[in-house]
Amino acid sequence: MIPSAFEGARIVMCKELRVSFRQQAGWCAMLMFALTTLACVSLSLSGGILEPKLQAALLWVILFFSSMAGADRGFADEDMAGTLPTLRLYGASQSVLWGKVGYTFCLLLILAAFLVPLYLIFLDVMILRPLWLLAAIIVGMAGLSIAGTLLGALATGASVRGGIFTVLMLPVILPVFLPGIALTDMAFGGEGGSGSYLLGMILYDLMLGVAASLLFDYLWYDD
Amino acid sequence: MIEITFEDVCAAYGEHVIFSHLSKRVIGGHITAVTGENGSGKSTLLRLAGHLLHAQVGHVLVRVDGKEIRQSELRSHIAMVTPEMKLYDQLTARENMDFLLRLRGVALTDAMYKDCIRHVGLSEEELEGKYIGTFSTGMRQRLKLAVLFLSGADIWLLDEPGANLDAAGRGMLLQASRQAADMGRIVLIATNDNEEEAAADDTIRL
Repeated sequence: MIPSAFEGARIVMCKELRVSFRQQAGWCAMLMFALTTLACVSLSLSGGILEPKLQAALLWVILFFSSMAGADRGFADEDMAGTLPTLRLYGASQSVLWGKVGYTFCLLLILAAFLVPLYLIFLDVMILRPLWLLAAIIVGMAGLSIAGTLLGALATGASVRGGIFTVLMLPVILPVFLPGIALTDMAFGGEGGSGSYLLGMILYDLMLGVAASLLFDYLWYDD
Repeated sequence: MIEITFEDVCAAYGEHVIFSHLSKRVIGGHITAVTGENGSGKSTLLRLAGHLLHAQVGHVLVRVDGKEIRQSELRSHIAMVTPEMKLYDQLTARENMDFLLRLRGVALTDAMYKDCIRHVGLSEEELEGKYIGTFSTGMRQRLKLAVLFLSGADIWLLDEPGANLDAAGRGMLLQASRQAADMGRIVLIATNDNEEEAAADDTIRL
């Protein structure tokens, strides 16, 4: 009996985590990019104090561009390794989509867990409302992983995949990105952001999820 | 009974027509060889049969007991061995089989794994703890066949399946294909091998 979409997604996600832990290249590239960018920002500021809004915007810019090095890997790696036709044959569309989203979400949460504490230390940022920062990052990473997985699948096979992916991602993720900055500003003691921003981000994530689920069947099946 | 019907199908890549006006009915219980020169469209025909490629002209219909099946339901009936389909280099043989078969709802037990590995001519000791990235082409081909045999699929699409196998491996494959056909499965083999063509009940020449 074919497994349910949930069980199928769990199987795909476990496989993704196992393969990526053994491969390591994707993780290293993403974390190194984050570290290099953070070091550049920190050195260029050389101890200067920024407004909370600027601090928040800088954090999200680093998070966004670092995630671009990993958020689309789910399908690109399969394509490069030649395993995509195998996965297409054996995996049901919803299992593959949500398994890949789950994997990307884990990847981006690890990126955030690595980057955010270093950012707070290097830029000497005070957090006044840590729970708002945590919520903004979790919901923001969820949106990035859903959009990244879908757009990564769309861009797979394109000869300029890397460029297309980032260009497509930015407008799609802006409704998550901008409230994320506002909420982070609030967490850093600024005046921007409120609870409704978080609600908006959650609703947009849900919309992205529904759209990805509906569109992915057309990508996965030719009939 | 399972059947695949090609209705006036044409295949083309851009301006280049590979084959045209193909009409044929392939039914369960038979081995059908697909033959033709290089570039004649044998692999394309297999992909069309599995709806892994959309027929731009004509129709390819897959029916089970007269009812047409599509998308995920159709995929669950298909297993394929082709040079383009790769397994995961960073997983072991057991992990690869476990992953693909679980997606098909097949729980791979130790006994099933050992029996199947032995059946396809691999030894458990030589596979133990090794990622398949270190395997020879022939060993990978045998592993793909192991997944095929355990998948429970009733449409077997085999593209040059004996290409990387020795004589014993080709013999095992033909025997397994005959058993599958006897169980009512469709076995479609794209081949230029005389032995494989001779083992077929029917031939589509492109």
